[in-house]
Amino acid sequence: MNVRLTVNGEPHEAEVWEGESLLFALRERLGLPGSKNACEQGECGSCSVLLDDRLVCSCLVLAVQADGHDVVTVEGLAEDGRLHRVQEAFAATGAVQCGFCTPGFVVAAADLLEHNADPSDDEIREALSGNLCRCTGYAKIFDAVRLAASQ
Amino acid sequence: MELRRPPDAQHAVAALGNGSLALAGGTDLVPLLRDGIVRADTLVHLADAVPRGIDGTRIGAGTTLAELEVDPQVPAALREACAQAASPQLRSMGTIGGNLRQATRCWYWRLRFPCWLHGGEVCHAKAGQHREHAIFGNERCASAHPSDPAAALLALGARVRTDRRELSVAELYRLPTDESRDVVVLAPDELVLELDVPLPDASVYLKAMDRKKWAFPLVGVAAARFGDRVAFGLAGVAPIPWAVDSADDLDRATPLPGTAYKVQIARALIARAFSAL
Ligand SMILES: Cc1cc2nc3c(=O)[nH]c(=O)nc-3n(C[C@H](O)[C@H](O)[C@H](O)COP(=O)(O)OP(=O)(O)OC[C@H]3O[C@@H](n4cnc5c(N)ncnc54)[C@H](O)[C@@H]3O)c2cc1C
Ligand code: SF4
Ligand code: FES
Ligand code: FES
Repeated sequence: MNVRLTVNGEPHEAEVWEGESLLFALRERLGLPGSKNACEQGECGSCSVLLDDRLVCSCLVLAVQADGHDVVTVEGLAEDGRLHRVQEAFAATGAVQCGFCTPGFVVAAADLLEHNADPSDDEIREALSGNLCRCTGYAKIFDAVRLAASQ
Repeated sequence: MELRRPPDAQHAVAALGNGSLALAGGTDLVPLLRDGIVRADTLVHLADAVPRGIDGTRIGAGTTLAELEVDPQVPAALREACAQAASPQLRSMGTIGGNLRQATRCWYWRLRFPCWLHGGEVCHAKAGQHREHAIFGNERCASAHPSDPAAALLALGARVRTDRRELSVAELYRLPTDESRDVVVLAPDELVLELDVPLPDASVYLKAMDRKKWAFPLVGVAAARFGDRVAFGLAGVAPIPWAVDSADDLDRATPLPGTAYKVQIARALIARAFSAL
């Protein structure tokens, strides 16, 4: 069936199968491979996007559930050719190793700072608890979020 | 597969049953469909069919866990149970109606072993890996009910309104039987519409898990005080949310070799919850 949604501020239309995820539609139909597909079970957060400003796992949302709604992916965070301050902070602190988890963390961290400009360590931990990283041990990711918050 | 989006509860009920399944947030159903563990010819999207929002003691079944965890009208036990469930991503999509009907997390069941709950003869978990499994009601199926909010609603004595009746959360669940291998009494086309959650004098939810955040309950304990009466609801200890009157009830637990440790955790959490009220 046909779905229409706004992705990163632009209207899009796609022909999707009823059972297909928003993640699949973003990656395979709309050419936005930034959101990653790792577990497809809601466990790792690498597919995190904003759906009407709420952080969700796009692997668990059907594309048809996003029909008529507003989606922001990691590709939509940069503005005017400048990386989002969270993206810059991840690069600056070395919070990226293999990089597979990074888009999900960046979207989750950007969402956190949008709602809480000066989060405590516990609030950072809570906000990022749905994202798993197998490489960094999380310390550099915390540094990145603190750095972005301080800017 | 077909998708429908009925405009109200009545149309949704008419579209359910006969191979049609209700879809709320999709956080449980979408992966089950993808993995072929459940099948549906038609998905009935509930977005317009089930109330969403909190009005005093009444909670629409379409309200998300994220909405519940921050609303001051909601008793502490339910707020805390929602806040400690799953991850932020899942709580912003997952609804309370879907949470109450979520399927077991038993890995044998999720990996499609032909176990008793799937209609087979034996419980593979009992003879195999069962560290996360039950200490009560585990004669047939040893799965442990994964819902934190359900334990809180049980302790709070919440009532459930469906499209055709009203029942308590305690009545909503029952152990699966040979004839009906399901943990709820609802008909296949029955919709949960609303919850009514009495306001206690005090309540609390405590949860033991493998990780400090984002994990299913090994044991969850909800306690609610109404006057001088205290009620407890437990998650992660039986195939359904389990009510106990006091820690003494744990003397009647029937743990498996791998779940005996849960009895101790439950005892400790009940004592801690009681003193917190
Ligand atoms: C990785 C992961 C971790 C999780 N951790 C926890 C945890 O720690 N604690 C916890 O409590 N939960 C946990 N959950 C479960 C999660 O909270 C539920 O998946 C969610 O609440 C289900 O709501 P939903 O709206 O997405 O339901 P859906 O997936 O849409 O539906 C689930 C089931 O409920 C039925 N249904 C939905 N709405 C209704 C209704 N109104 N009436 C009748 N039937 C209905 C559907 O037909 C389906 O069978 C976890 C889930 C995942 C994926
Ligand atoms: S615990 Fe229940 S779901 Fe798990 S293998 Fe045994 S019968 Fe199946
Ligand atoms: S791919 Fe969606 S949570 Fe892992
Ligand atoms: S950098 Fe490799 S998983 Fe996080």
